[in-house]
Amino acid sequence: MILDRTVAPEFQIPEQVNFPSPIKKTLQNGVSLYFMATPEIGAVKLEINADSNRVTGIVEKKLVSYFTLHLLMEGTKSKSSADLDTFFDTYASEVEVISNFEHNGLGLLTTKKHFNTVLPVFRELMTEAIFPEKELAKRKSQKALSISIQREQNGNRASHLFRQELFGEEHPFGQISDEQDVEAISREDLVSFYSEKLWVNPEVFLAGNLSEEEVEKVCEILGDLPTISFESKNPDFVNLPKPRLEERKESALQSSLRVGCHLIPKNHPDYFGLWVFNVFLGGYFGSRLIKNIREDKGHTYGIYSSIGSLKNADYWVVMADVIKEHTETVIDEIYHEVKRLQEEPIPIEEIEIVRNYLIGNLLSNFSSSFDLISRFKSIHQAGLDFGFYEKQLEYIKTFKPEDIQAIGKKYLLKENMVEVIVG
Amino acid sequence: MMINYQKFVLNNGLEVLVHEDHSSKIAVVNILYKVGSRNEIPGKTGLAHYFEHLMFGGSKNAPVFDAALERVGGSCNAFTNTDITNYYVTLPAVNLETAFWLESDRMFQLSLTEKTIETQRKVVIEEYKQRYLNQPYGDVFHHVRDLAFDQHPNKWPTIGKDIDDIVGYRKEDVEEFYLTHYSPDNAVMVVAGGVKTEDVKRLAEKWFGEIPSSKFPKKTIPQELPQTSKKVKTVEAEVPTDALYKVYHMPGKMQDGYLEADLITDIIGFGRSSVLEQSLVKNGHIFASVGAYILGTVDPGLLVFSGKMEKGQSAENAEKALDKVVKDFLQSQVEEEVLSKVKNQAEAMKTYESVQLLNRAMSLAYYAHLGDAELYQTSYEKKTKIPSHQIMEWANTILKEENSSVMYYKAKGG
Repeated sequence: MILDRTVAPEFQIPEQVNFPSPIKKTLQNGVSLYFMATPEIGAVKLEINADSNRVTGIVEKKLVSYFTLHLLMEGTKSKSSADLDTFFDTYASEVEVISNFEHNGLGLLTTKKHFNTVLPVFRELMTEAIFPEKELAKRKSQKALSISIQREQNGNRASHLFRQELFGEEHPFGQISDEQDVEAISREDLVSFYSEKLWVNPEVFLAGNLSEEEVEKVCEILGDLPTISFESKNPDFVNLPKPRLEERKESALQSSLRVGCHLIPKNHPDYFGLWVFNVFLGGYFGSRLIKNIREDKGHTYGIYSSIGSLKNADYWVVMADVIKEHTETVIDEIYHEVKRLQEEPIPIEEIEIVRNYLIGNLLSNFSSSFDLISRFKSIHQAGLDFGFYEKQLEYIKTFKPEDIQAIGKKYLLKENMVEVIVG
Repeated sequence: MMINYQKFVLNNGLEVLVHEDHSSKIAVVNILYKVGSRNEIPGKTGLAHYFEHLMFGGSKNAPVFDAALERVGGSCNAFTNTDITNYYVTLPAVNLETAFWLESDRMFQLSLTEKTIETQRKVVIEEYKQRYLNQPYGDVFHHVRDLAFDQHPNKWPTIGKDIDDIVGYRKEDVEEFYLTHYSPDNAVMVVAGGVKTEDVKRLAEKWFGEIPSSKFPKKTIPQELPQTSKKVKTVEAEVPTDALYKVYHMPGKMQDGYLEADLITDIIGFGRSSVLEQSLVKNGHIFASVGAYILGTVDPGLLVFSGKMEKGQSAENAEKALDKVVKDFLQSQVEEEVLSKVKNQAEAMKTYESVQLLNRAMSLAYYAHLGDAELYQTSYEKKTKIPSHQIMEWANTILKEENSSVMYYKAKGG
């Protein structure tokens, strides 16, 4: 039989995706631990996340939490900086600093083989760090240098300015750190932050091939961590009309663009509609923005729109580095594509593609057991659980294009957009 | 930590490996073409990477590659380096056949329309600007490679030597490249995840079986002659601080001394406890950061030391401080603890890498392209058995001044 290549093979769209929930334990100090068993994997991942000082409302110098967390590996009461480096490297374990808008914390990636050896030393970092002056001085000069390099990177600079415009320079989410902020940090700032303000409402996330006893051991070792209980007030933001912010550079070959606004919380009835609207517009490789600006006009290597996750209300941003002289065209085209998607009927074929792509993507995101704990963490920190993904899957299967168009029209308003151009 | 697999070869030369993982409901189809920037010629540099973009421009029966894949719940991407161009598709395992249809169609009869050729030329030029020109320190490897190599195509980076080359590709160049390199006998396909070997066999025969082998011979790659004296280059740029790159020629992937070179950089430069980090960064005042690594190329490559200087410190001084650490290392023995640390790390890296199905598929394809997928395991075992005296013999062979090239990347007015 001669193969007919003109006919695409039959396909099916999976009906179900498994969203297995983690096991919850409560430690002696009241901290919750979430554990996802991954019997077939030799790696272990442990994370402790606390509410960041950016949401607790505790006023601090800008870089206090940054330096506190980065100095934890630079010496404890019983181990020097070099001892700690040798220890973690010898057991091939990676300690990672977690520092984002709403959380501060530490992560550990290790192997099942070395987990029990490494755990007590990882625990030491949480309460026994000594913040030596010499290491602090080196870290400060490294940070000052990286700030000066980032300022020269148009993409980074544009993202910083976008946050400043969106959240306001008064709010910690909108602040940009500079060399003076580095200079202002002293050892005393770190010591007091560490002992009094770091471990606010912490939670623990754990994944690996661990026995019941090993999980109990983690509970025990982390169960005596002194924690701070605090009613964190995650901020509410409103969209305010603002003039475009431009930072032009003569020598730049491209312009970095950021356009965006505040959205709605994940538990809002319109949330999934807005999320799907974003996918059509700029959220996957077949999106309207990619097709128009990259695949048709060739004005950029990449253009994407995405939704940033925050507890009270997410935000939306379009990002691209574009040919300098086409900057205006691209911004006009972004608004044009938003409007077109809001107003003109969406072709049936495109709807089918997005629906199926999203289902496949969800299946793929939940296919590796080791990643499940991170998926859980992100939705849990928004105050929700895996029920969110069940509902999301249902929405993907059944949404009506008119609904997502109406929702897009309601929330993506040109007058609400922050616009930043660097380069 | 071994990766299980079955292997078969079609009559047209396509090598197929199947890695079954029934815990997964998805499938990965990874196709590696044995072509990279080492197969390019001066004046047409960057062609392999540019061609990767064209492979997404549609084929005879699937004019829009991405959409056809997304419609069945899949997604895809690709990368190009000096040696290979690697394409991967992730999709629900039940729709495996769609990946075979799409991948075989673009291997067999890629459209190469005028529109795709011209738009992707623009896109790649923007990629070039975004990643290499409009970035502080973005072009360092353009300079370093150009300095270290005289003959071999490793002289230019995968993106291409300069934008003019990208501007100058003609339709004939593109077509010749396709006919020469994109054939079943120049590819390795790995299918992994919730799949069965017998199904993969049937589908491979069905979709790839009729694609002919290449009739166009590959060009010979000019090989580099041994370097006999040190090379130095100074570059000035608008950057906040000086950077130093010191590189040494080293053996290629399958040659003697490659694994030793890999161990040398692990010992001297991997992690916060390494001698470079401890003596130059944590207890020194010249370097803000430092690293040592190898470019793991198939043909002889480079062992690289790189670092950024603290403000006001010069790259020339930094080289002296680096040389002292290297000299001390050459006169020392590798301590047992250091060796066991490095071996622990090699073992753990394999564990971390193999967590993701896609990584397992890529590893199998990569080692199969080197000659045998077994090398994934055997080269690791070989590496962990190398005695310290053998590492030091190679260190003394490679880390010679006359074998080095140095670039001082200096802050203008700094």
